[in-house]
Amino acid sequence: MDIAAILAAVLAPKLVVTVVVCTFYGAFVGAMPGLTATMAVALLVPFTYFMDPAQAVAAIVATTTTAIFAGDISGALLRMPGTPASAAYVEDSYAMARGGRPRTALFVSLFAACIGGIIGVAILSAAAPQLARVAARFSSDEMFWLACLGLSCAVFVGGASVPRNFASLFIGLAIATVGIDVAVGHPRFTFGINDLLDGISFIPAMIGMFAVAELLRNAETRDPVRLGRLKVEGLGKAVAAGWREVRGRKINVARSGIAGTVIGSLPGAGADVAAWICYAISRRFSRTPERFGKGHTEGMIDGGAANNAALAGAWTPALVFGIPGDSVTAIAIGVLLMKGLTPGPQIFSTDALLVYTLFGSFFLANLVMLLSGTLAILAATFLLRAPRSVLMPSVLILSMLGAYAILGSTTAIWIVLALGLLGYLMSHAEIPIAPAILGIVLGQVVEDNFMVSMMKAQGDLSGFFARETAAFLGVATILIWGLLLVRAGLELAGRRPAASSRETNT
Amino acid sequence: MSPGCAGQTTMINRTDLLAGVGLFVLGAAMAIEARGFPSLGGMAFGPDLFPTITAVGLMVSGVGIVAEGATPARRAAAAQAGEQARALWPMLAVLLTIAFFALTLPVLGFHIAAALAMLAAVRVFAGGWGLALSVAIVAPVITHVIFYTFLRVPLPWGLMAPLAW
Repeated sequence: MDIAAILAAVLAPKLVVTVVVCTFYGAFVGAMPGLTATMAVALLVPFTYFMDPAQAVAAIVATTTTAIFAGDISGALLRMPGTPASAAYVEDSYAMARGGRPRTALFVSLFAACIGGIIGVAILSAAAPQLARVAARFSSDEMFWLACLGLSCAVFVGGASVPRNFASLFIGLAIATVGIDVAVGHPRFTFGINDLLDGISFIPAMIGMFAVAELLRNAETRDPVRLGRLKVEGLGKAVAAGWREVRGRKINVARSGIAGTVIGSLPGAGADVAAWICYAISRRFSRTPERFGKGHTEGMIDGGAANNAALAGAWTPALVFGIPGDSVTAIAIGVLLMKGLTPGPQIFSTDALLVYTLFGSFFLANLVMLLSGTLAILAATFLLRAPRSVLMPSVLILSMLGAYAILGSTTAIWIVLALGLLGYLMSHAEIPIAPAILGIVLGQVVEDNFMVSMMKAQGDLSGFFARETAAFLGVATILIWGLLLVRAGLELAGRRPAASSRETNT
Repeated sequence: MSPGCAGQTTMINRTDLLAGVGLFVLGAAMAIEARGFPSLGGMAFGPDLFPTITAVGLMVSGVGIVAEGATPARRAAAAQAGEQARALWPMLAVLLTIAFFALTLPVLGFHIAAALAMLAAVRVFAGGWGLALSVAIVAPVITHVIFYTFLRVPLPWGLMAPLAW
């Protein structure tokens, strides 16, 4: 790919403006407790409908990059992580803020996030085209197994127990079966509603499950956030101290940047899982593990670098195989499909410029984040005083009109309502949302490839293992199913802690 | 939390029981509906195959969640969480606001429907009447600019149709 063409695409004024605006939007939403990075993207999607594909992916990338960092702001100042990805090291950043160094804590996070993000996108841009070359030879058999492997992986790494993860996945797959089927064109589960013939529209579904479900949870808790008096250090001092801390821990940043990318690339394991694992690794190898959780920067650097690196990692399976690595890339795949682009190995040859523009926007977003992040840190106390009674209704009206804008019919608003309630009930029953999202996105891919392979093999299941790669992927999938059965057995026997309430979305 | 409840455990975690049974019933309904789908010419399978697999998956996970609800850990969790008072009405009010908006949008038009929805929503999230009225006046203007003027979404004007531009 011609470097000059990529640079021209990435530095096009329209794209740069989109990235800058979205980093500020991401910083704002991420900093608010109760508004997650995924919600920020779900609310952004109706706007991406009116953008060209490169601009749309740049907007999504820039929003999530900053939102994940900004989650640390309310984490440090209120001990309420703005996004689940900041939860791993919230004790440390809060302790630092209480100790009179809130800005230093946030600049440590900002620098770690920026470098971690850049490591992530460097790995993504090196690995994805190579993997795509391998994936280009896949037939419906391999694609079926790969999608199954992705879904099983989501169940395997999800935070909750096996039956809950499976329940979530099947809820997603059930939603995906609504609409006209591919084989004979029979309408399924449409209840005579014409707007459902094309299936449950993806964007209203996302808005419902992420924005409205979150809104309903917020409606339950009525305690307004109180920001106490806080001693704040000077900006110059905080920047210098933050940089010194991060520079002194190069190995941590490199280790967690790489590990975060790899973890992020596993379907179902998002930025939050990456942060938890890298924080734990950091503590395990630290010379001073006893200082973790008490305002020590080491774990913050590891967790902060890992969660931003994971964002880029999640794009690897999304671009190469069309299998999302987390909820945000699931939404992004939906956006690309809406624009007539099918993520998968062929996108590297048919729309190479788009792919490289995506990589470029990731780099750009991480750099612009230094500016928007600094402004967000300066405005932190002001941001956190934004009244919930205006913020939540704003999310509500954006959700409803955003959904309407996509479908042009009030059916979209009913989908938002139904799936919002479903998402709320799922979280109430401690059923994670992320596998359901993967199910909604991948349901049709799995079914299409399954039906094509079934027809090829005339219903003979051994046909799914006829090709060498397909057989390998099939055995790997069945092996994961076996492990999941063993794990479910252990959970029921009480040998392994079951359902944790930790959400797996970012 | 009422006194004495922390130590008591129930036979089964009630949320798990409800969730599991709900999933099972949903799966069963889906499987029954799928049996009515036409078959693929000359083959033993058709559009019903994938929904049936999904339905069975829902039923099995439902059973799994009920079984999990009977484990000591989940029963203890139920006893601990059971007494947390939850305000149900704000949640219902948000749902009603969305339903109201969906029903009235084509009739009243988006300016009026948005104003009324915002008035209700600010009140639900504990804002005062003054704030609620201000938001109800400002929100339709902002949404008009963003969605109608900028994004060119053909939002219905309803009662305001004579003033449409």
